[in-house]
Amino acid sequence: MVSKHFTVPNAQGFHMRPATTFATAMNKYPCTVTIKFNGNDVNGKSLMHIMAACIKVGSEIDVVCDGEGENEALAEAAEMIESGFGE
Amino acid sequence: MLKGTAASDGIGIGKVLVIEEVSLDYTPHTVEDKDAEVARFKAAVDAFIVETQAQAEALKASAGAKEADIMLGHISMVQDPALFGETEKLIQGGQCAEQAFESMCDMFIMVFSQAADDFMRQRAADVRDVKTGVLAQLLGVHEVKISDAPADTILLVKELTPSMTAGINKDNIVGIITETGGKTSHSAILARALEIPAVLSVENAAALMKTGDLVIADGSRGEVIQNPTEAELQDYTAQRETFLRNKRELEQFRGKETRDADGTAYELVCNIGKPEDAGKVLAGDGEGVGLFRTEFLFMDRTALPTEDEQFEAYKKAALALKGKPLIIRTLDIGGDKEIPYMGLAKEENPFMGFRAIRYCLKNRNLFRTQLRAILRASAFGDVKIMFPLITCMEEFREARALVEEIKNELRLTTGIPFNENIDVGVMVETSAAAVIADLLAKEAAFFSIGTNDLTGYTMAADRGNADVAYLYSVLQPGVLRLIKRTIEEGRKAGIPVGMCGEAAANPHLIPLLISFGLTEFSVGAPSVLNVRKCIARWTKEEADKVAEHAMSLDNEAEIAAYLESVI
Repeated sequence: MVSKHFTVPNAQGFHMRPATTFATAMNKYPCTVTIKFNGNDVNGKSLMHIMAACIKVGSEIDVVCDGEGENEALAEAAEMIESGFGE
Repeated sequence: MLKGTAASDGIGIGKVLVIEEVSLDYTPHTVEDKDAEVARFKAAVDAFIVETQAQAEALKASAGAKEADIMLGHISMVQDPALFGETEKLIQGGQCAEQAFESMCDMFIMVFSQAADDFMRQRAADVRDVKTGVLAQLLGVHEVKISDAPADTILLVKELTPSMTAGINKDNIVGIITETGGKTSHSAILARALEIPAVLSVENAAALMKTGDLVIADGSRGEVIQNPTEAELQDYTAQRETFLRNKRELEQFRGKETRDADGTAYELVCNIGKPEDAGKVLAGDGEGVGLFRTEFLFMDRTALPTEDEQFEAYKKAALALKGKPLIIRTLDIGGDKEIPYMGLAKEENPFMGFRAIRYCLKNRNLFRTQLRAILRASAFGDVKIMFPLITCMEEFREARALVEEIKNELRLTTGIPFNENIDVGVMVETSAAAVIADLLAKEAAFFSIGTNDLTGYTMAADRGNADVAYLYSVLQPGVLRLIKRTIEEGRKAGIPVGMCGEAAANPHLIPLLISFGLTEFSVGAPSVLNVRKCIARWTKEEADKVAEHAMSLDNEAEIAAYLESVI
């Protein structure tokens, strides 16, 4: 299991488009992807779960990947979040 | 007459077609062969995806790619592991596909409709659309075909969904009435994209009207007239003609240069609040940006934006404008706008208090960060800097000196590219700035008149205060004299003078602005074509005559009446 902490930098947070991009990318990996936010576990492969979590700019989150391909998944997640989803 | 929300301009006259929601009733039951039920669910989802893809194609042709994206979003939703996977689990637990899918959708609809964010609440409508679509597939019922509607049809629906919109034939549907939805709802956005007049949120519309009723839908005023009289029909038919004629006339100004009747050219640019709006400027045929408000970068967050974050936002706007001018106004924030993390104290009198350039000059680090970001972005387009709320020379000089200081830093320490000759101008929005326009013009690269604050400060009247709002008018002789002075002093010094307040789009004021010598009009993107048309009708000589007479009148009421009579 690997994890990393982030402060969401992009103005829109995990809105429709970033959430779709994120979930689509995470679904490529066999491991589980969980976003820990506000004491909740959000399924990082689910666009609907991510949107429902209302993760905004400035939110503190941890991304946890567990299973096959966890390092690659976390690296891609970090790149997307830190680049602000190219916003 | 029924009242609703004016959501898409224009007037539709025709016969009502009520689109009944198809019955999606079913009896929940437990299933024995769970794998077969899962297969039935998968087949329904596949059929839904195929149909949605076809609708997205149709919508792309009629309303544009952006609207079609909404439908493609529905496909992502239905394929979502949470929605799809959890439904499958419920079916494996013994529920029928209808019940399993509906309960999953309802859960998300509930979560989204309780969100604090308007955008998230709109997603509830998307999930509802997906739910209806998949249930219809499971139950083998089909939504009413709107594409078969006869000519001159006014659609009456509870809510206009993207899937319905896809079936709309613009030649036959002349108006839309709904029972729900506001100005920013999907229904409204879709109606505007299709350019069909729409009145939304008409209470009990479906109970009050039936298929075949003759109605008038006035999408500009948000009114529905049932069973109109002969006189009303004539009146509205004439109004519709005028509306369509104006629209056609305005379209003739698209892609043209902005020139008055003598052929003198003007800059016609737009006011924006976000980098994304730069696209709307070009779509609206604006020639650049005359006011980019930067407050959005500082709102709705918990800490100051970094230099890089600001740089990316300014660069994005500059690139989107492809070399067209972009005037960035430095932070205009103060006691009246709450930004908790900035620690602004509550003031007795915020409009005369610690705000805008005053705040920035005292909070050097914040100001330097913004100026560095703007300078760095100046390598990517025709970027200019404008300072708000200037009242005296010292403020302007101090702020400009800071720009020079930062230029030096960039030059010496980092080698980051920027525009060495970046224009630094003044937003003239206080009476003091207008009165010392002769002094400011010697050192500023340009002026832009902010008429909203200029009017408020000059008349000492808050337009939000009903007791004094009558004083708040740009046509007050006191305000007009300051505008005239600012433009004339700017011209004498040979610098461009623009206007970025609401007044720049006011047809009554345009002849005066032409006569005074304004060179740039900065307006909301939807006003561009109309302002271009208004400018085109005046020669300098005619405008001078109107201005001379208007300036000879001694009160606002007479000035307003006179200008109304000449345009």
